[in-house]
Amino acid sequence: MTNRSDASARRRKAAGADAPDWRNALFVAPYLFFFATLLVFPLFWGIWLSFHKADIFTSGPFVGLGNYIRLFNDAVFLRSVGNTFYFVFLTVPALALLGLFLALSLNSNSRLATILRGLFFSSSVLSVTIVTLIWRFVFIPQYGLLAAIYKLFDAEAPSFLTDPSLAMIAIAITTIWWCIGLPMMLFLAALQQIPADIYEAAALDNASRWRTLTSITLPSIRRTFVLVVIIQIVMQFQLFGQAWLMTRGGPNNVTRPIVLHIYDLAFRRWDVGLGAAASEVLFALILAAAMIQYLMSRSAGERS
Amino acid sequence: MSGRANSRSARRGIGDHLILALVLALSIAMIAPALWVIGLSLKDNHELMANPNSVFHPPYVIDNYVNILYGGGVIRWILNSLIVSVGLTFGTLLLSSLAGYGFARLNFRGRDILFIVVLFGLAVPEQAVIVARHQIFSLLKFHNTYHGIILPGLSNAFGVFLMTQYFRAIPKELDEAALIDNASRFKIFWKVLLPLTLPAQATLGIFTFLLSWNDYFWPLISATEKSMYTLTVGMASMQVNFAQSEGVGFLMAQAVFAGAPIFIVYLFFQKYIVTAVSGAAMK
Amino acid sequence: MTAEIDIRNVSKSFGALTVIENLSLSIPAHEFVVFLGPSGCGKSTLLRMIAGLEGVDEGEIFINGVRVDPLPPGQRGLAMVFQSYALYPHMTVRQNMAFGLENVGTPRAVIAGRVQIAARMLEIDHLLDRKPGQLSGGQRQRVAIGRAVVKEPKAFLFDEPLSNLDAALRARTRIEIAQLHQRLRATMIFVTHDQIEAMTLAERIVVMNNRRIEQIGPPMEIYDRPATRFVAGFVGAPQMNFLDVRSAAAGAAGLEVRLDETLTVLTHVDPAEAGRAAVLGVRCEAVHVTGADQGDVVGVVGVLERLGDRALAHVHLATGQSVIASEVAQTRLRVGDRIGLKFDGDKAHLFDAEGAALPLWRAP
Repeated sequence: MTNRSDASARRRKAAGADAPDWRNALFVAPYLFFFATLLVFPLFWGIWLSFHKADIFTSGPFVGLGNYIRLFNDAVFLRSVGNTFYFVFLTVPALALLGLFLALSLNSNSRLATILRGLFFSSSVLSVTIVTLIWRFVFIPQYGLLAAIYKLFDAEAPSFLTDPSLAMIAIAITTIWWCIGLPMMLFLAALQQIPADIYEAAALDNASRWRTLTSITLPSIRRTFVLVVIIQIVMQFQLFGQAWLMTRGGPNNVTRPIVLHIYDLAFRRWDVGLGAAASEVLFALILAAAMIQYLMSRSAGERS
Repeated sequence: MSGRANSRSARRGIGDHLILALVLALSIAMIAPALWVIGLSLKDNHELMANPNSVFHPPYVIDNYVNILYGGGVIRWILNSLIVSVGLTFGTLLLSSLAGYGFARLNFRGRDILFIVVLFGLAVPEQAVIVARHQIFSLLKFHNTYHGIILPGLSNAFGVFLMTQYFRAIPKELDEAALIDNASRFKIFWKVLLPLTLPAQATLGIFTFLLSWNDYFWPLISATEKSMYTLTVGMASMQVNFAQSEGVGFLMAQAVFAGAPIFIVYLFFQKYIVTAVSGAAMK
Repeated sequence: MTAEIDIRNVSKSFGALTVIENLSLSIPAHEFVVFLGPSGCGKSTLLRMIAGLEGVDEGEIFINGVRVDPLPPGQRGLAMVFQSYALYPHMTVRQNMAFGLENVGTPRAVIAGRVQIAARMLEIDHLLDRKPGQLSGGQRQRVAIGRAVVKEPKAFLFDEPLSNLDAALRARTRIEIAQLHQRLRATMIFVTHDQIEAMTLAERIVVMNNRRIEQIGPPMEIYDRPATRFVAGFVGAPQMNFLDVRSAAAGAAGLEVRLDETLTVLTHVDPAEAGRAAVLGVRCEAVHVTGADQGDVVGVVGVLERLGDRALAHVHLATGQSVIASEVAQTRLRVGDRIGLKFDGDKAHLFDAEGAALPLWRAP
């Protein structure tokens, strides 16, 4: 009745409503333009820059891995890596555990709980400049809030921000105050996903409060816990504003995080290639830390 | 259950009280710094210099706030922040909605691959691209301009991700009915589906606005002229130039002045902000 | 303004799964045709291909002699009523109904007029300024129909529109759709899995199963002379009784089939087909309950269903098979009663091993 070439011509012409159409791509094109030019291109350009001795206008001569070698021979850079790890170690567990505690305690519909939840989240909407302004003055010796509290106990407040052993801790406290809202909210959302009948079954099974918590509640939000930790690791690795504004990375570079070093290299000393290299190292560290955390939690999950 | 309550209530009481005490202690720790700052802002500068502890006693004055309106570039900075944040929010909503519709509802070659690429974009931290961006913008002479501050934010994939998910959740039959009603793809987007995404638009809009308003690093390195400072950068620059307690009250007043609008926005749109932030984390 | 629809050798696959295979069908103008079949048989896909929502892999579709399969859905001059109504939630009823006409540039006055007429016909004119969220299921259904009516389409396509309604509403809306057809005399294609809807609404039924058309014909023909075992079992409630045939021999009036040692049924099937007879089909109204010794076979009443207008007796035979017989509503039968069954041979159907119906015979 119909020969093959006729049939295939007809097949090509008969298009359903859902057939691929290049004109449909016009919807995503505007976004993709900015995505490509402002994210993808700079990503590769940055890697390229890291292999050159660059300044702000040109990319300069090719130096291969020279920048990276310089970085790893730079005591200040290595110090900053150490500082960043120390900072992450101080803040992430505290944020996760404190956030969990607050979520568990405030997971009710009472007026008080609602108000307190709002309170704990409110600090997250402030900018880093306001937060550091507030906490700088809290920590100021003699005049600060902390000083006033110490005076209540007839003690002299240490100067947190100028004491090498206390400075990072001060920044950590500031950060915890600032960022506690998100972990708390994530845990609250996870807690509310647990169906009520599981608790009812546990009650009928005579489980104590503690037992319910450890055997039912906590395992149910395990995935959220991992999520919170990963997010916080990624976020806190990028510490900059608090260190820059509260201590300028001092005293003696004890509070200098990697991003501050990048800022210094690329935008103060205009050693752009070196700064790019440092930022690639940071990128790699963040990816690695997140990966490791994820894999660790995966294997732990499979074991249990 | 009720039989046990009696024997348990004693133990329950202590446990509960402890928790309550701890939570309240934390709450006080949360709110104390803010209250203290507000207190400082309401004191006369000289009085504070003489006696820092005077913050705890009246009199409270509003001179500092009055001075804000006359001196300093705070007003200018707020204006800059406003232009930048509103611009970025508007741009993000537009681009993300268009792209979200395209990814969720339309078919074109390479769609799925492109979407995964965009998703990977979420994993890239700002620092990995910021040095390169700075150089590119230097070459393009985009620094110290409004578009210079706004543009990088448009590449954020979060909005696209959010809108795509939202469009996917709308029943496909609406599209089909509109197709049979002879509507073009754009008309389906504009007249049928977009109005149904208002909650997501609100969430994304507020989230983007907040993120832009509080952004520090990029405006710091791109807007280096005082007149182009955004609020965060401007306020930070003020922090640098102060001696011990001189002008502390004034400084604190600036902080309160700067923080209050955001705080008010927060109070009104709490629900949306929380939704957006939790959603962002789900990536 | 109505359409004759011609489907020729149409095929469609989703990936490796062939959903429609070389299907041809002709629908004359003004006809109310029902695509009937179980889930997954391809009826919805076929409808959507006519609408343009699915592409045609092979074959062509013609409307009034014009080839439409390359055209997008909006340009075929059709209107569709969806199972879930698919009303635009943020528009009022009026805007919902006007949307399609606005998109083709119809003048405002014309739109307003048509909307008013359609709304009055469907008795939704008092709802014109409400939004779909404020309407009940039945009202939404009428708005969906109204949206189709105002477009004055060449044909109406209904995709299981009654499935989301409760039983009472379903019956009422069924009648309204029938009246709509009488009034507009437009070509209507109605997809459903409910054989009652098919039987009551259709001028012709297209019974589909497993991507093929099993039979096309007016409802009574489908009911009285099913072409396949599938059609026989799918149409009619309760389902037709099927009994395995042991052997068949030619008789005076037709094929005599032996079902077991005791039971023989005299059918009117062509004796020449003796070799093919595999399954006997007989509806419950053709099976009569008699005294235990007066029937063709003996059985025990297992379950008795009283429906109000009649009773259905599920009778267990000695062979283990179960037969449903229709009884009067006031029957005195009880569970456990030993009774006889008489089979009405001239209403019996025979099917071969593949399910094809064997032809009837007229004695010379």
